Amino acid sequence: MSRPAALVLVVAAGLAVVAPFWLKPFGVYQLSMWAVLTIAAIGLNLTLGYAGQVSLAQGAFVGIGAYTVALLTLAGCPFALAFVAAGTLCFVIGWVLGYPALRVQHHYLAFVTLAFTTLVFLVLRNEEWLTGGTYGINGILRPSFFGFSTAKPVSFYFFCLSVLTVLSLATWWMLRSPWGRAFLALRENPIRAASLGLDTRRYTLMAFAIGSSLGGLSGALYAPLVQFIEPGSFALGLSFNVLLMVIVGGSGYFLGPFVGALVAVLLPEWMRVAQGYYLIIYAALVMVLMALCPSGILGLVERAANALSGTRKATPALDPKGVEP
Amino acid sequence: MTAVLQVSGLRKAFGGITAVDGVSFEVREGEILGIIGPNGSGKSTLFNCVLGQLLPSSGEIRVDGRRTTGMRPCDLNRLGVSRTFQLLQVFPQLTVRDNLILAGQEHQGTMWSRLCGRADAGLGEAVDRMIAFFNLSHLAAEPAGNLSYGQQKLLDVALAFMAGPRLVLLDEPAGGVNPTMLAHLRERLQAYHAERKATFVVIEHQMEFVMALCTRVLVLAEGRIIAEGSPHDVRCDPIVIEAYLGH
Repeated sequence: MSRPAALVLVVAAGLAVVAPFWLKPFGVYQLSMWAVLTIAAIGLNLTLGYAGQVSLAQGAFVGIGAYTVALLTLAGCPFALAFVAAGTLCFVIGWVLGYPALRVQHHYLAFVTLAFTTLVFLVLRNEEWLTGGTYGINGILRPSFFGFSTAKPVSFYFFCLSVLTVLSLATWWMLRSPWGRAFLALRENPIRAASLGLDTRRYTLMAFAIGSSLGGLSGALYAPLVQFIEPGSFALGLSFNVLLMVIVGGSGYFLGPFVGALVAVLLPEWMRVAQGYYLIIYAALVMVLMALCPSGILGLVERAANALSGTRKATPALDPKGVEP
Repeated sequence: MTAVLQVSGLRKAFGGITAVDGVSFEVREGEILGIIGPNGSGKSTLFNCVLGQLLPSSGEIRVDGRRTTGMRPCDLNRLGVSRTFQLLQVFPQLTVRDNLILAGQEHQGTMWSRLCGRADAGLGEAVDRMIAFFNLSHLAAEPAGNLSYGQQKLLDVALAFMAGPRLVLLDEPAGGVNPTMLAHLRERLQAYHAERKATFVVIEHQMEFVMALCTRVLVLAEGRIIAEGSPHDVRCDPIVIEAYLGH
């Protein structure tokens, strides 16, 4: 990582720590939402940005995670256990959902995962005996650890931020291990990867399962954050929103989800002054960004940094010494 | 000499078209076998059947005496069968170094050890040697997509060699490469062959390349082997000339 980039990262991390102290409760809530949804976006970035498997099901996994935690904690199960259960359940379901990805790719896979999201929504709405149907689930408690309660907005925010930090570090570790390289190979050229001994089937399923599991863990924080969940929150809209975070932030960039989630959570609030027009402006901004820089905001930043540094290396491919033995 | 690869009675039909029609041959340890033939003679289909990309309609393939018919490409590769493709197949966004680590990492350890172990899978030195062998050291940190076509072709071959394979199948390695680079590629293939006693099978159109590199040549036409012998004999065989020039 370059020096300026490291500096920006440190400043951003510092801001994330001090910001809640001068924000109003609603601001802290928004910031917590950012941390929670970033986790879901990290998961999708893994599946889509790194391993190249399109998924429109991340919202459904957030929902599964949220309902798991809500139901378990209200039944008296400790939060930590419910949290792990949400991640594990989504890992298993994600693994199974990965099977279609072994047969179909791209927009066909998008449709398979879209159907899954709809299915999950219908189950959450119709199985009233379990989920409470359209009435949702009320009064979800925020956890306490060793007598330290996270009920207050600021303490819950720091709880979310810690979970985000731990999960990002774990993901970062995985991506720099040979697994990360294998995921990229899966995205770039699965046939060549298989010819080099990569078990593409196992890595594809793993990418789906881990990505979905992060979705579930995000949901496990979402439920105690909002304290009231209902099926509508986890319909297609959320899946598209998480997809938007990944794409806008920069798909395949490690920090893309952080930026994307920030934009997706804050921009609509900032543009509330524009009232009814805000969705139109938001949509237009996204379209312009995609047209100018399909690699998202971080792609744009990278391009700008390259242009500014001015000390770009001569392309080695054009170096005459490169060709001859 | 033992046979590294044995193909017997291999047949592959696509609907009504029989692309490979009862082909049998052996590849002996340490040889460089060339497979030539006009376009559409079934060379690539034969390769794809041997390499597990296609399931043959009938027939059998053995590697070191072990039956491998229908085995997945990744499992075959871990048995020591490696390949290059007709069209360039590198990972453009990975660096040259990462391309090569990738080509070796799945040949050691378990899924778990690959997750918890070192980022370069302990292959750093082996990769440096391979990069130096193909004169790509100055490009090690460069994304493969930034390399020239000829350099990518070298990298492609290096990927196939990375895990120290027992048998390498090269699909038209000379395609689209300029003469200087081609001479370099041939020289590197020969050097590797001499150093590692590796066994190669080469599909190629470029006759001079085949003549210079191969120790034995098979000629395929309409899915069958029509001639076999030393490069010189095959070149002079009237049946071969007829197959290439038509009736």
